[in-house]
Amino acid sequence: MSSEVKVGVPALSTELCGVRFQNPVWTASGCFGYGREFAPIFPLSSLGAICVKGTAPTPWVGNSGTRVTETPGGMLNAIGLQNPGVDHFLNVDWPWLQEQGATVIVNIVGRTIDEYVEVARRLEGSGVAGLELNISCPNVKEGGIAFGTSLEGAQAVTAAVRAATSLPLLVKLSPNVTSIVDFAQAVEAAGADAVTLINTLVGMEIDINRKRPVLGNVVGGLSGPAVKPVALRMVWQVAGAVSIPVVGIGGIATWQDAVQFLLAGARAIQVGTACFYNPKAPVEIIEGLAAYMEREGVRSLDELIGAARPDFARIRSLPTGRRSTSASPFQTLGDAGALCDPVTGICEVPGATPAVPKAPSKATGEAADALRQWIKDSDRF
Amino acid sequence: MREALKASRRKVQWVDEPALVLAHEGDGEVFKLTLQAPQIAQMAAPGQFVMVKVGGVDPLLRRPFSLCEIRPEAGEITLIYRVVGRGTGILAEAPVGARLLTMGPLGYSFPDPAVGSGELLLVGGGLGIPPMVAAATAAVKAGRAVRAILGARSARYLAGAAELQALGVRVDLVTDDGTAGERGVVTGPLAAALERASVETGDTAGAGVSAEAEASAEVWACGPEGMLKAVGALAAQHGAPCFLSVERHMACGFGACIGCTVPKASGEGFFKACQDGPVFLAEEVTLGV
Repeated sequence: MSSEVKVGVPALSTELCGVRFQNPVWTASGCFGYGREFAPIFPLSSLGAICVKGTAPTPWVGNSGTRVTETPGGMLNAIGLQNPGVDHFLNVDWPWLQEQGATVIVNIVGRTIDEYVEVARRLEGSGVAGLELNISCPNVKEGGIAFGTSLEGAQAVTAAVRAATSLPLLVKLSPNVTSIVDFAQAVEAAGADAVTLINTLVGMEIDINRKRPVLGNVVGGLSGPAVKPVALRMVWQVAGAVSIPVVGIGGIATWQDAVQFLLAGARAIQVGTACFYNPKAPVEIIEGLAAYMEREGVRSLDELIGAARPDFARIRSLPTGRRSTSASPFQTLGDAGALCDPVTGICEVPGATPAVPKAPSKATGEAADALRQWIKDSDRF
Repeated sequence: MREALKASRRKVQWVDEPALVLAHEGDGEVFKLTLQAPQIAQMAAPGQFVMVKVGGVDPLLRRPFSLCEIRPEAGEITLIYRVVGRGTGILAEAPVGARLLTMGPLGYSFPDPAVGSGELLLVGGGLGIPPMVAAATAAVKAGRAVRAILGARSARYLAGAAELQALGVRVDLVTDDGTAGERGVVTGPLAAALERASVETGDTAGAGVSAEAEASAEVWACGPEGMLKAVGALAAQHGAPCFLSVERHMACGFGACIGCTVPKASGEGFFKACQDGPVFLAEEVTLGV
């Protein structure tokens, strides 16, 4: 994979799965389409990455009836993974996204393991930056969450796609499980290069006048600021329990939210629902993060990622390159070796020395100057 | 003809601007909001809508409102809305001088009134009446013969009717309870108007009307889904081109969420109300209710 740094500020760049992203702010699958609606508003090349809409081997029409409804501080959706299919992506969307200079991660979906594998194979050699395996969509009857809520299912689909692709493989986890740490460790063992969490929480609303569920699908996925504390807690727990990078998502709407996820241990974050009511949210978060780093004298994201954690030293020492895919990565479940405190979610990994994060010094030199210049120029959006 | 009309619907790249509240009045339930939104006012066409942000994190999503009046010279737009929940409840308290983040103009407009022929019948039901004000204004300007057929539960819900009457177009009012105009529903006067238009142009109403023939009348409608369905069926019986403006729950309003589906009449799958509509050619969509 290319590890080339794109235009941007070195201090904001983040490396995971062997790919260097110009910044850690990505847009979330299902909240950004294939980027077309946003391209007139800001350059897509300014994003760390775009996780495009969940893409299947063939077009899916999605669910009937009401698909979205608002809830306090959030929303429920039951879109049902409407998507134009991988051929449309490769023939139409991907060439266009390349013209925009976008870094793209393709979220892939299937009804069966074979379908996931088929999409992964079609994308091999396309030049996309990675695959994000969607095993957590609550709105389809087959595939999706069916794989994401069984450890065996999650491992089986991860291992099958791992064997079918040389691309960096992220696995997007469902929060609708008893212990998300178990799932993170299971997919790590099955060969995932990184985990993305969380997908939506299953919820519902009932219309008291019609006396029927609001959503055509009866239940849907809850997202938005309402879920942020849950997502943050899960990122905190998982980051302490795996050795692969964690991509944080769940209710991130402001740069302050993004900083919290980074401090919890996420190497990148995704902006989802906020794009719907504030289309400029991703670039506002990039700007806010850059300004925060300058104010705090933080010279690189590595000083921030996991800095709120007692095991910061371990997080900093984790490899950011690709995992070797030559040897069978399959380990026995629960063999990741972490002992997690059920209350704090902090995990002890043998050999790691917990350390108190060191207060960073004032940013100086070239990186800081570049950062300041970038903030000054940031009204270009 | 239908294709030419459909192609004349307008869509532009939207902007997001902090609109200034210039006037805001209501009776506690139905309100009229006048906003200074110069960029949107410059670009907007009848039938298009805006997404207005109210509150911060709760309520979270913007609210869609169709444009009632568009005044490009003054840089103003007006919206008429009913308080139906928390979002509109908070909006109703926005004082003159407040700024409301407003995204628009969104979606496809009604056709260019200069493209069609025959009498333009504007059918508005309840809160479907306000967009007919902008539609009638544009049609009158284009020199088109216009008649508005407006219906509501009762007189209180005819907001926008006064603006239409002030334009000097013929307005037929019907209400469910007879508190304004005739007691009845819009399909009564609409059927009569379509009959008359057919007779005047020597057309015989009914099956077998050629889609290529010069239409004797054209119908634009906005209102409850049941009304839209009935209006579409009536227009089809008379061979009149018919454009319907639909309403849907939507999270974003600009095509990203895929929440606002309208089933396609032919083939499988859905249109997006926000991007492919909200104004659709009646025969291309399957409506519910």
